[in-house]
Amino acid sequence: MNCIITIELGTNAVRVCAFDLQANVIGYVKGSYPTFHAEPDYSEQDPEQIFITMLYVLKNFLTEKIYPKKYKVDCICFSASMHSVLAIDKNGVPLGNAITWSDNRGKKEAEKLKSSSLGKKIYTATGTPIHPMSPLIKITWLKNNDKEKFKKTYKFLSIKSYIIQQLTGEYFIDYSLASATGLLNIHTKNWEADALQYAGITADKLPDLAPVFHSPGKLRKEYQTSLGLSAGLKIIIGSSDGCLATLGGAVWGEGKATITIEDSGAVRVVGKKVIQDEKQRFFNYLLAENYYVSGGPTNNGGLIFEWFAKQFGDFKSLFDIDYSIENLINDASKVTAGSNGLLFLPYLLGERAPIWNANAKGAYFGLNINHERQHFIRATIEGILYQIYSIGKTLEEHRTINSLSANGTFASIPFCTQMIADIFNKPVNIRKNSDSIGLGAFLLSAIEMGIYKNIDEAARTVVLPDTYKPEKQNHNIYIKYFKIFERLSTKLFEDFEEISNLQRMENG
Amino acid sequence: MNQFHLQQEHSKELQLFEHIAEFALKKNNTIHLNSFPTEVTECLRIYYIMDGKFNWIINQQHHILYPGDAALILPGQNFGAENNVLDIGTLSWLHIYVDKPAPAGRMISGKWSSLTKSENLTIEKILLLNNAPVLLKLKEAGLILQDLHTELVNQEIGYATRVNHLLDQLFILITRQLTRQNNSGRDFPQTFMKLEQRLRKNLAHQWTVEEMAALVGLGTTAFNEKVKNYSGFSPLNYLINIRISEAIKFLKKQDMNITDIALDTGFYSSQHFSTTFKKLTGYTPSEFRKINSPKK
Repeated sequence: MNCIITIELGTNAVRVCAFDLQANVIGYVKGSYPTFHAEPDYSEQDPEQIFITMLYVLKNFLTEKIYPKKYKVDCICFSASMHSVLAIDKNGVPLGNAITWSDNRGKKEAEKLKSSSLGKKIYTATGTPIHPMSPLIKITWLKNNDKEKFKKTYKFLSIKSYIIQQLTGEYFIDYSLASATGLLNIHTKNWEADALQYAGITADKLPDLAPVFHSPGKLRKEYQTSLGLSAGLKIIIGSSDGCLATLGGAVWGEGKATITIEDSGAVRVVGKKVIQDEKQRFFNYLLAENYYVSGGPTNNGGLIFEWFAKQFGDFKSLFDIDYSIENLINDASKVTAGSNGLLFLPYLLGERAPIWNANAKGAYFGLNINHERQHFIRATIEGILYQIYSIGKTLEEHRTINSLSANGTFASIPFCTQMIADIFNKPVNIRKNSDSIGLGAFLLSAIEMGIYKNIDEAARTVVLPDTYKPEKQNHNIYIKYFKIFERLSTKLFEDFEEISNLQRMENG
Repeated sequence: MNQFHLQQEHSKELQLFEHIAEFALKKNNTIHLNSFPTEVTECLRIYYIMDGKFNWIINQQHHILYPGDAALILPGQNFGAENNVLDIGTLSWLHIYVDKPAPAGRMISGKWSSLTKSENLTIEKILLLNNAPVLLKLKEAGLILQDLHTELVNQEIGYATRVNHLLDQLFILITRQLTRQNNSGRDFPQTFMKLEQRLRKNLAHQWTVEEMAALVGLGTTAFNEKVKNYSGFSPLNYLINIRISEAIKFLKKQDMNITDIALDTGFYSSQHFSTTFKKLTGYTPSEFRKINSPKK
């Protein structure tokens, strides 16, 4: 029997999944690696640890789960978090750690470029919002602040490019990940001259561009031997996590959007046209074959509710946060929609779409003497989902959305999924125990292997029933409070800035 | 309880217990100049507050202790009161001789202790790694000190054994409290991150699961399960991950010999390093170094 392996180089962990050729999941395993914060705005990961963790997990998975079932691996397809930057020297040796998407050191560089006419031009060409997350800004930061490293750099890679180079010896980046660097013109599919110039680099400082179906080369012999893989194994470069979650997310075609909420979150649509937003609120990433994934990301997803649980939840035994969260959700369901007028702004980590305000902060608003603990819990969840709705609502200025598909650990908590349906007033479908990213990577491989004719056919095989229907009554309540939520999110602009400055001073 | 002050070589109660340097209870009703100057000793010092509020400087850090709190001062750390004055209140203290001055290790593993060798090592490790010398609300420590005093004064049958058991009990109590106090018990990712930092700081050390679990404040069973759940690896396999990742960086730098790399990253020998490395990557360390050497 034959199988396809997908490898996701995620934010906190590598996830390896095996599918048979009928898209059934054979097995799944993960291995985590840490994120280092040497300074408050820094987020870095060790590329060698990511590589070794991936190798270790893959080897154990193959020998324990795949080979005993007599499966032969045809193909390995990769996906990865967007926006990472890893500088390497001329020998291919990393110059320190990789900078990950959540790194904010380039705040000043981003603000400066965003408000300029060049910034607007670059956003229109590249589809990536001007933000510290973008490799364009990260490389610019290195140019301005770490001149020695910048000078020594032979190439600026993404983490996935590095992992693939370790395995095959070749430097490549797929169009999907490249389209999230802020350096690729998503219309012409070439590196964008203005962006390169702004970052102070030439195209040869970047890996070669390749389609998502591209096979960058054979797996090095030593890895073939240690992993027990055949010389005929095909390596497929694959795409980004966001694009593949959309491909595997059952939202192909008109009128659909996908909502992903893990620690952070995003609302995405797919189409053949780029969304040109005057206010630069959305990203447009290239999936494949002229399909674009457009949408908006939020910093404040399930992580915010976890924060709440850690502070205010009950802990039966040490570190048992699942128990704590379960109880909180149970308590939240004891009060009605709208939390009796208690509102929560979830911007504990600043915010991206749609307000794009790094200074935004959290707040409870509307508190009166009758509010109880349950109201706080419910309001917290409602606030996180109002924020998701504010992205969806802004997207609706450009696209019609009739139904939603939800995935991610937070969005797939039944209480939360129902609330999404109610707030949006749209049906929501969901796959149990789903890994849309892995499935998306499987679909790419299956197209390349000829199992499906093209991306359109492959994506349409993913169909899910509508499982959560909106309750109109709740929607009417939510929508009234949402108006206040939306107003507060922008009205407090000056106060957010002032309190941010004070907090910064306080923390040295 | 009444005041007492037992001292080695002066008090017959301590004759059988060479390892106890001093054991006392003091009710301080008046303030005297220079009654509590900063001192460094080679003893391990434990203080327990029964009444009052004490302003102390322990190892350059300012602490305020309230009734029920205990302080642990390691050999070689300086300790005294602010303004060198002992505040008004009631307190008890116990000074224990250690085998060798820290941080060479083997602090409390005198012959008197019935802790096993590995328990001893773990406890020492935790005490040495600890950077918060004040233990909040440790009422049990007060009870143990009270029992200790009763045994020493009454000298009932079996008291020699009981005294040493009580000391063991006190060290176990303090160590457990330390591991718990340093962890909220709510945020495993953050706790795990702290543990990882400690492992990386001292990668050459032969870490045991018991030591790692104790640092997190969990028993080994719960610790194994939590780590596996969170990271996908058993604690020891996760450690191998870090070791190999660090070793790879050294290999790529090209300027350190392979035996040194092996020992620095915590492998027993270059042989052990080679075998582990090859099993995982398919390359021996020197082959791996070669494919990553500067292109000519």
